[in-house]
Amino acid sequence: MLLKNHNNALHVVIAAVMALISGTALAVDLNMPVGVTPISHDVYGLHMYAFWICVGIGIVVFGLMIISIIWHRKAAGHQAAQFHESTVLEVVWTIIPFIILIALAIPAAKILVKMTNTSDADMNIKIEGYQWKWQYDYLQDGFSYFSMLAADSNAARQLDSKINPDSVPNYLRDVDHPMVVPTGKKIRLLITSNDVIHSWWVPDFAVKVDAIPGFVNEGWIEIDKPGIYRGACTELCGRDHAFMPVVVVAENWDDYQKWVAAMKASNGAYINPATLQPEQTGSPVVYAPPELNFNAPTTAQLEPIAAVLPAAAPTAKPEDATAAANPVGKQPAATEKTWTMATAMARGKQVYDTNCAACHMADGKGNPAMGVKAIAGGTIANGPLAAHISLVLHGKGIMPAWGNILKDTDLAAVITYERNAFGNHKGDVVQPAQIKTAR
Amino acid sequence: MYNAAVAHEHHAEHPSGIWRWITTTNHKDIGTLYLCFSLLMFFVGGTFAMLIRAELFNPGMQLMDPLFFNEMTTLHGLVMIFGAIMPAFVGLANWMIPMMIGAPDMALPRLNNWSFWILPFAFILMLSTIFMPGGGPAGGWTMYPPLMLQTGLAFPFTIFAIHLMGISSVMGGINIIATILNLRAPGMSLLKMPLFVWSWLITAYLLIAVMPVLAGAVTMELMDKYFGTSFFNAAGGGDPILYQHVFWFFGHPEVYIMILPAFGIISEIIPTFSRKPLFGYTSMVYAIASIAFLSFIVWAHHMFTVGMPLSADLFFMFSTMLIAVPTGVKVFNWVATMWRGALSFETPMLFAIAFVFLFTIGGFSGVMMALVPADWQYHQTYFIVAHIHYVLVTGAAFAIMGAVYYWLPKWTGHMYNEKLAKWHFWLTAISANALYFPMHFLGLAGMPRRIPDYPVQFTDLNQIVSIGGFVFGLSQLLFVYVIFQCVRGGKKAEAKVWEGAHGLEWTLPSPPPYHSFTEPPAANLIWAHPYQDD
Repeated sequence: MLLKNHNNALHVVIAAVMALISGTALAVDLNMPVGVTPISHDVYGLHMYAFWICVGIGIVVFGLMIISIIWHRKAAGHQAAQFHESTVLEVVWTIIPFIILIALAIPAAKILVKMTNTSDADMNIKIEGYQWKWQYDYLQDGFSYFSMLAADSNAARQLDSKINPDSVPNYLRDVDHPMVVPTGKKIRLLITSNDVIHSWWVPDFAVKVDAIPGFVNEGWIEIDKPGIYRGACTELCGRDHAFMPVVVVAENWDDYQKWVAAMKASNGAYINPATLQPEQTGSPVVYAPPELNFNAPTTAQLEPIAAVLPAAAPTAKPEDATAAANPVGKQPAATEKTWTMATAMARGKQVYDTNCAACHMADGKGNPAMGVKAIAGGTIANGPLAAHISLVLHGKGIMPAWGNILKDTDLAAVITYERNAFGNHKGDVVQPAQIKTAR
Repeated sequence: MYNAAVAHEHHAEHPSGIWRWITTTNHKDIGTLYLCFSLLMFFVGGTFAMLIRAELFNPGMQLMDPLFFNEMTTLHGLVMIFGAIMPAFVGLANWMIPMMIGAPDMALPRLNNWSFWILPFAFILMLSTIFMPGGGPAGGWTMYPPLMLQTGLAFPFTIFAIHLMGISSVMGGINIIATILNLRAPGMSLLKMPLFVWSWLITAYLLIAVMPVLAGAVTMELMDKYFGTSFFNAAGGGDPILYQHVFWFFGHPEVYIMILPAFGIISEIIPTFSRKPLFGYTSMVYAIASIAFLSFIVWAHHMFTVGMPLSADLFFMFSTMLIAVPTGVKVFNWVATMWRGALSFETPMLFAIAFVFLFTIGGFSGVMMALVPADWQYHQTYFIVAHIHYVLVTGAAFAIMGAVYYWLPKWTGHMYNEKLAKWHFWLTAISANALYFPMHFLGLAGMPRRIPDYPVQFTDLNQIVSIGGFVFGLSQLLFVYVIFQCVRGGKKAEAKVWEGAHGLEWTLPSPPPYHSFTEPPAANLIWAHPYQDD
């Protein structure tokens, strides 16, 4: 009995030590991911190869030093030898590193050639970095959308949020509109930027390419298996650099085709690929997007999907609801919509919190540290309407040109909101038609 | 005769109090000023680092706005590089080079005074931006456009401060070259110079070559912002990547400016405490020279993700890997110097041994990052943060601390408190590894650098890093205390402080006379130098 207890205790200790050694005691992987693309596999192999070579050299060099420290101590009575040169030795330890480096350089060069070969791609997706979000443009299919930090993470990451990040699923690793790609196809990524330099990185793809304004960089992926792959912007791009993650949903070709069809039919709205998944078991993608918890898909959002799936004719839908359901999207066909003060303020607050609050702050007080002007009591929001619309549309300095990013309905709503919130009382309700004229 | 004596008397007089330090042209006084200034800046930059680590202790934003966090990372880098590491090496050069080559003083003493006194003003300018509307520079110490061009009022101040630092460095470099080439004692040929002097001769050339390049790069940014040029603006026909090429053409030699003098220091300390001549003196000199040459043709390895052509990627990968050869030679030579010596482990030797271990670890991650495909995963993550801190903190800063303990008895005439110094060493070495080693794992696991907040799976490692950081920071107070105590008093130091020491500086009394060698040292002292016994 005693012996058995002793054994159990021993097992616990051994298990704990093993867990510590294998890194499972920490809630994070300690090594580079093997990843899901041919490149990421090669890169992982190269990384481990280089790592073990370094370990080998380390054992020899550090081993000699430690032997010397232990045996060649004055305190141990060791007398110093007086040699200080050996041409043979010096030639040997110049040549051996050369040989090791050549052994490293050859596989590295081969992989590099493979990585930079973007020819024969099956499809192209353009990725454009913005402060602080990504735009994915499906060039062949003619639609594009923005992808920004999920609302729950965005709320939790504010300085005085009082929200524990541990309580937020996938804190800082989720976006509202993930990039969707098919598996098994060679996809060429065309990466650029609208403002400052960003860098698009997904560790599982071993693709990290700088997004540089005015230039288009290339990378390519061919994903082995469906799944959700997460990454980040890795080039310092300003205040919210940490808050523009990358999320890529990889689906098999059929599911991807369904999503593309749904996107084409959605009139600019983003269709979450998870909503297209049949409710059956064994589905390869188990994706519970965070936005569902906060922004449950409205009928308007689901209607186009219904339209595609059972091949039924799309039904007319109220424009108002579409606009409210899609924080960011392409220009809808019609701008005849008119806002009332109440609807514009409600929608305007949504648009403001998603797009403007990062710099102008949730209370509209601006951010003097960044040189961002206040909207609360500000001269623009309380000045002539035309100047206000023009500034929002065309931008100035670090203020982006929102005309390229938001649609007329949202622009009208957010300008109305800015003129009537934060203690401003201009009382005017801006209509999408006014924005259209001002463009 | 009478006149000459009077002139000499007059020359030996110098004002006391604050005016002594402001008007001084003496290499020891200026060396002390440089060293004190760099210690102060080490604490200023360290305070920024402590704020960074405090914010990163937990996920979520607890203490500061993300923009302020970016100001902290930017200023931490600029202050540590231009304020702490570089002036510390210049201070050591000022103190030691005349004493090591048998000269009375630096060759250009008035220039020397000017090159130091520019620095405090440069840093007042730069640090004052924290209190300006819009805050300090927040675009990273590399100051990449277009992001850097979004800086507010701090922008011209930062650029002007960098110009001043550059002028100071170039003048310091000129002075060191002039001193080494002109003031060596008769009989000291170039290949009889101590390694520290050699490393500084080459470093000084690097300084003169690249500081103007940095000045040019930041001036072009200034023009882009205020004078409507488009050097780095694609919309106006420029190229943001051009800045990166120019910057790193400065930046990579700059990395060696911060490590070559450290190589020199380690090459002085290890033979002393091994009681054995430095192994492979000439190959050490050639290794430093080759590293300096290679440093000019590897700059784009900082930019493997910017989309260079394949041929450029290959060239910079191979040239970068080549650096491992001369660097390896240096490490092997240090190990061979220790081999079969009679080692003792006073604090300078502890720092030197830690340097060889930990700098080599930084070298390993350096070789891994030279491999372009793997660098696509490492780049701009905590893996590179680990690398730069292994080479610059456990590399350069450890060498500086070792050098301070090594020469402090010579400077002050008192022995420092060996027991406290050893406490300082062990606290520093252990906490530095708790601070920097987990960063490798964070980077591999996917944590980008320069972020004020992170996904929750990185929490455990970040907390280890932060605790390591706080202990490291506090341990440095002990360093200051040991120095302070040693300056105030202590056991009298002999001329030859260390049993195994060689070199002209140990032939002078401790503390040395105000003008080091008023007469050239006897030739037999130079010939007694251990490198020349064949």
